Amino acid sequence: MPAKNKPEEEIEKMHVTLEDIKAREDIIGYILRDPKSASVDIKDPSKIIDYAVLSSTVLDSGEYMTNAFDLGEIKNIVAEGENVKVLSLTIGDHRISVFMNKKVDHNAIYKDLRLK
Amino acid sequence: MRPPPGSEKMSEDVYATALKSTLTEIKKICPDINYSFIFTKEGAIIAGEGEADEALMKKVVQSFQSLAEKAVAIGGLDAFSINGEKGKLHISRVNDMYLVLTASPDADTTYLHSVTNVIVPTVLKLLENIAPPTPLKLTPSQELVVDILTGFFSGDNVQIDDTHLKEWAQHLGGKGVNEVEIETVDGKKTQCGVKEISDPKRQGKGLILIPEKKCRALEAEKGALVKVKPIASDGDLQNAS
Repeated sequence: MPAKNKPEEEIEKMHVTLEDIKAREDIIGYILRDPKSASVDIKDPSKIIDYAVLSSTVLDSGEYMTNAFDLGEIKNIVAEGENVKVLSLTIGDHRISVFMNKKVDHNAIYKDLRLK
Repeated sequence: MRPPPGSEKMSEDVYATALKSTLTEIKKICPDINYSFIFTKEGAIIAGEGEADEALMKKVVQSFQSLAEKAVAIGGLDAFSINGEKGKLHISRVNDMYLVLTASPDADTTYLHSVTNVIVPTVLKLLENIAPPTPLKLTPSQELVVDILTGFFSGDNVQIDDTHLKEWAQHLGGKGVNEVEIETVDGKKTQCGVKEISDPKRQGKGLILIPEKKCRALEAEKGALVKVKPIASDGDLQNAS
């Protein structure tokens, strides 16, 4: 009999994947939110609030524009700034944002998040 | 160098027509594109291609501008893309403007970006050389929060902060602004007289005080955001964002 139920296992897996991604070069950090809790791991703590607000706005604006243009279910959203970009996606009721330097291949990060 | 009198409207038309033609040509090269439009960083829609209606485009622009404000944390917003199951959306900055494209899910985005990133900047550069870039220097419109003006003496005029009136007058070469056009997010518009806010408690808060009757006509409730454009004292509606 498994010690943990499936959703708990999935959350744990997600944390492990995000920790693995965060350890890579040029990854700034991540925010993982679900309806009950949030995990934030950003290398520069002074930016946590700004990044959290941005993460939420990216997903909200993304949902709004997706509905407006009938783009179907969102696979991922990317917002690019001058040097930093953020990859956001929703898996189940988890909202994930990974912050990284602009040169990082966000498609590779997305694949890792979806596959594991 | 200022453009000769009367030529500003013409150059705006040249801009809009040239950019619309550019978007049409891009669609011919990339048939995967469904809609495309261009807006300034101030939010004015300059040209569009496809069947996206104006109210929809305005709402998308407002949503993007709200996101752009928060994106200061990552050094501004150069590009924004959504990868959806039924389609893709890509917004990219081109000089002081943003180009919005929606395409089918199978569209080759690398090809799409290489085409748009060459053609649109080239056309903009050409236009800046042959027509004065007036659309980039539009009189700024203001997004203000509705508050309701009640009472027997509320009159027909709306009230906004004096700072906006002064700023507009400066942009219009000293012309006074006695009227404004108000537009709701649903696209409802009205024109009415404008005065500065008389109640000191409501000054400096980004409010527009609208008489109750006009609020009902606009279907704007207290707390709603509206776009306010100046109308110069000679009756010219300024092509503000």
